[in-house]
Amino acid sequence: MPEIKVTPLGAGQDVGRSCILVSIGGKNIMLDCGMHMGYNDDRRFPDFSYITQNGRLTDFLDCVIISHFHLDHCGALPYMSEMVGYDGPIYMTHPTKAICPILLEDFRKITVDKKGETNFFTSQMIKDCMKKVIPLNLHQTVQVDDELEIKAYYAGHVLGAAMVHIKVGSESVVYTVSVNKFALCHSGAAWIDKCRPDILISESTYATTIRDSKRCRERDFLKKVHETIERGGKVLIPVFALGRAQELCILLETFWERMNLKAPIYFSTGLTEKANHYYKLFITWTNQKIRKTFVQRNMFEFKHIKAFDRSYADNPGPMVVFATPGMLHAGQSLQIFKKWAGNDKNMVIMPGYCVQGTIGHKILNGQRKLEMEGRSTLDVKLQVEYMSFSAHADAKGIMQLIRMAEPRNMLLVHGEAAKMEFLKGKIEQEFNCYTPANGETVAVTTNPSVPVDISLNLLKREMALGGPLPDPKKPRTMHGTLIMKENLVSSEQALKELGLNEHQLRFTCRVQLQDPHSDSDTLHRIYTHLKSVLKDYTIQHLPDGTVMVESIVIKVSSSAEDANAKVLLLSWSYQDEDLGSYLSSLLKKGLPT
Amino acid sequence: SCYLRYKDLHVYQLEHPTQIIEWTSGKTVCVAGYSSGKNEILELCLPLKLLADEKKSLCAERDFKVVHGGFSEGPVCCLTHIPGTRCAVTNDGLTSDLQLWDLGADDTDVIRKTGSLPGTSVSQAGSRIAARLSSPPQVLHGPQSSSVQLTQLSTGQTLYRLEVDSTEPLSSLKFVSETTFLASCCDGTVYLADTRTSAPPQASPPPGECAPWWTDASAAPQCRVIRLSSSGQAVVSDLRNLGGALCRAQLDVQTLPRKPEDVTVAWAPALDGCFSVSGLSGLVQIYDSAGWRAEPQDASPLFQHAGHSVSSQHGDGSAPVFITTHVWHPERPRTLLSAASDGSVHVWDWVDPQTN
Repeated sequence: MPEIKVTPLGAGQDVGRSCILVSIGGKNIMLDCGMHMGYNDDRRFPDFSYITQNGRLTDFLDCVIISHFHLDHCGALPYMSEMVGYDGPIYMTHPTKAICPILLEDFRKITVDKKGETNFFTSQMIKDCMKKVIPLNLHQTVQVDDELEIKAYYAGHVLGAAMVHIKVGSESVVYTVSVNKFALCHSGAAWIDKCRPDILISESTYATTIRDSKRCRERDFLKKVHETIERGGKVLIPVFALGRAQELCILLETFWERMNLKAPIYFSTGLTEKANHYYKLFITWTNQKIRKTFVQRNMFEFKHIKAFDRSYADNPGPMVVFATPGMLHAGQSLQIFKKWAGNDKNMVIMPGYCVQGTIGHKILNGQRKLEMEGRSTLDVKLQVEYMSFSAHADAKGIMQLIRMAEPRNMLLVHGEAAKMEFLKGKIEQEFNCYTPANGETVAVTTNPSVPVDISLNLLKREMALGGPLPDPKKPRTMHGTLIMKENLVSSEQALKELGLNEHQLRFTCRVQLQDPHSDSDTLHRIYTHLKSVLKDYTIQHLPDGTVMVESIVIKVSSSAEDANAKVLLLSWSYQDEDLGSYLSSLLKKGLPT
Repeated sequence: SCYLRYKDLHVYQLEHPTQIIEWTSGKTVCVAGYSSGKNEILELCLPLKLLADEKKSLCAERDFKVVHGGFSEGPVCCLTHIPGTRCAVTNDGLTSDLQLWDLGADDTDVIRKTGSLPGTSVSQAGSRIAARLSSPPQVLHGPQSSSVQLTQLSTGQTLYRLEVDSTEPLSSLKFVSETTFLASCCDGTVYLADTRTSAPPQASPPPGECAPWWTDASAAPQCRVIRLSSSGQAVVSDLRNLGGALCRAQLDVQTLPRKPEDVTVAWAPALDGCFSVSGLSGLVQIYDSAGWRAEPQDASPLFQHAGHSVSSQHGDGSAPVFITTHVWHPERPRTLLSAASDGSVHVWDWVDPQTN
C-alpha cells in the first residue's frame, strides 16, 4: 500500500533543532533545519547521518523548506548546505529570507568571536547558503519538479512564518510550526477548511499553554513604563523585528494620549530604516485581507514619538527609547544601556528571548555586574523587566487548526513524550495521532484517490437526469464504467487488495407443472428427462430430494390449490445464468409422458 | 483604571467553561467541564510570573500550563483534592456516586480514573465533597443532610455517618478541624459534627428567610461561620456558638432566583474578616466584615472584580455571562481565581483601596 514516511531528525520528542524528513510519492523533503540552543557540541545539529552516512545530501533530498526565521528552525541551515553539503533548492518566504542571514550572522559572531568555537559555519558559508534560497510568495503554487508541488500559507506567529502544503499526486502533507488566531481567521479559511491532508504535522510545544490575554500583557507593559516615567526614570526598549516595535509604539501612543503624558518617546533611526524596509517587505508579502487589518501607519505619523538622536540619551528627565539591536549585544541599544545602567530609577524592558552570550541574556539571568571591553565592569542598577509578546498558538488554537484541516492523520513534534500524552489522547478522539521520537520513522498508509477523466456524454447524461447541481458537500452517485489499462490479477487477489468480500448472486424461479404423480416420482421423471436432454452436463439426483444440474438446484413440491399440480423451485447462481434460464423454459414446456 | 486597582491581572480563555476551581498544590489548580457528554479535567499550573516574588521582573511567563489532563464521561460539578495524595474525587451533580482519579506524576501528563464509590442514597441530586489531611485518605460526602458519610478511599468502608433525619439538600460540606466538619443545608440550617463520635451534631436553624443559603466557615483561630441568603443577607456567627449572630449586614447585590450551585461565598484565608461573594451579581465582590455590628446595616464591597462581564465575548445578545465559581489563594493575601460561564478564567491580585 502506498505510504508517506515522516522521520524527525531533531525535535522528535524534545524541544530544539527542528528538522523533519518527509518521504512522499518518491520525493524526499526536509522541513526546517534548526539548531539546538542548549548544546555546545555537535548535538546542537540534527543528525544528518540518517539520510546518508557519508557524502553530500543533494542526491537524497528534493528540496528543503524553512518555516520561519527562529534559530531552532534555521540555525543549522548553513552547516547542512555548506559543511555537510547540499546544492538543491531551499524554500522560504521573502521575510524569512531577509531576516535569516542577519540572525545567522549575529549568532555566528557570538558563538565564534565571543565564545571561541571552531567547528562552526563562516560568514561566507551563510552567504553561499542563502544563494540557494528560492523565496516563496503566499498562496502561490511552486512546482519543485514535475511531481512535487508546494504552497505557503500565512501562519503569523512571527514575521514571515508560513504553513506549508506539500503535494505529490493526490497525496499531501501540511506542516505548521504554530499558528495564531489571526492566521486561522484570515489565511483564507477556504484552503485550510477541510483541506484534508494525509498528514498534518504540527508542533505540540504550545498545546499545553493557555495564553494570558493580549490586554493583560499590554497592561503590564504600560504599568511598568508609567511607573518608571512617574519617578523620573528612563525606559530603554531594545527591539529587532518590525511587528513588535510598531505594536508597542501604537500602544504607548494611545496610552500617552489617554493619560495626557508629556515625557518624550524616541525611535532610533537605525531601527526606522530597517523597519521601513521590513514594513515594505511585509506589506507586499501578505495578502489584501491581512494588510487591511494591520494598522498601516508610517513610522513618523505618531504624535508623541520622534526620531532619536544619540545626544538625547544624556538629556535629563524621563523618556522612552526604542533602539536596535534586540539582544543588547552591540550597536545603539548597547550604548544607551551603558549610559543608563547605573541609575536605579531607569528600566530596560526586554521584549523577547535573548541568545546565550549576549548582554540581554546575562541581565535576564539576574547578572548585576557585567564585564565590558577593556576589562571595565558595568554595575547594573536599573530595573530589568522581561516581557513576552510572542503570538504563538495555544491549546485552543491547535485544536481549532486540526478541526479545520481535518487531516487523515495527525503527527506531533517538538514536545517531550511525557507531556504529549494528554494532547495525543485528546486528538485521538477525533483523528489518528502519531508522536515519533528523533530518528523514529512513522509510515502512514495513504489511500490515494485516482483522478479520472469523465466522458462528456456521460456527464451530459447525468445532468439531463435533473436534480440539484453538483455540490462538494452533497456527493451524487453516478454509474459508469472505468476503462483502465493495468495489470491483470486473479479476482481473489483483486478482492484482497481492495478489501472487498466476494458476493454470490443466486436466482430463483417457480415453474408450475401439471403432474398427478407423487413429489418424489415427479422429481425422478425430471431427473430422467434432463439426463436425456442435457447429455454434457453433470446431473445429480440427491438423497435430500433435490436434483442438481451443475450448480442449479431443483425442488418439487405439491401445489396448495391444485392436487394435480406441482410447483418446481429452481435456483441457480449468477455464473449459471444461461443454463438456469434455459432449464426454466425447458421445464415450463412440461415433462414427456 | 485597572493599572492601579490590580497589582496583577491575568485573563485566560479555556476551551470549555468550568464550575470548579480546586487547589491541588500551592501552584496548581484543577478545572473541569460540566457539559452533558464527555468533559476534560485539567490540572493547570499558575503563571510563573505571578508566583515569582523577588524574581518577578525577570520572569516573562504569563501563561497557564496544562500539566495534567484527563477525560470524564459525564459533567464534573464538584471536584475535591485529597490532601497529601495525588488523588481527586468528583461528582457529576446527577447522582450521589463519586469518581476517583489519579492526577498523575512527573512521568505522565494524563489524569486517569482509578475507581468509583457508590453514593449514599438513591437521590437524584449531586453530592458535596470535603476532605482533609488524614492517613489513610478519607472523603466526606453526601447529597443531603441525612446521607453524609465519611468513606475510606482504599477500602470503600464507611467510617462515620451523620445522624440527622432531615433530608435537606446540602449547599456545602467543609472540615473545620481534623475531626470536626460543618454540613450546611440550602435552607440555611447548619450542622457541626465530630467524626469521632456518633452523638448527634450541633444544629443551628436558618438565621432568616430567603433560602437558599450559602455558608462558609473559617478554621481556627478565627472560627467564624458566614451564612448568606439569596437576597443578600449576611450573618456571621462564631463556630462555637452557632445559634448566636455576631453581626449582620445587607450586601449590595441583586435579588434574582439562584440555583444552589451558582453562588460561592468564601472567607479570605489570609485577610481577617474579609470574605468574597460571587453569583449574586455579575461580579466577584469582596467585603470586610470588621466593622459590622449586631444590628443589620447595609454593607458596600471593599473591592469588585468586574472583569468577566466587561470582557465577555457574548456581545451579540446571547445569554449573559455569569461567574460559576471563585477561590482565594491559600497563602497570598489578595490573590483570587474566578471562572465564568463563557470559559474565562481570571487570576487577579487586587490592591486594597484603603491603603492608597
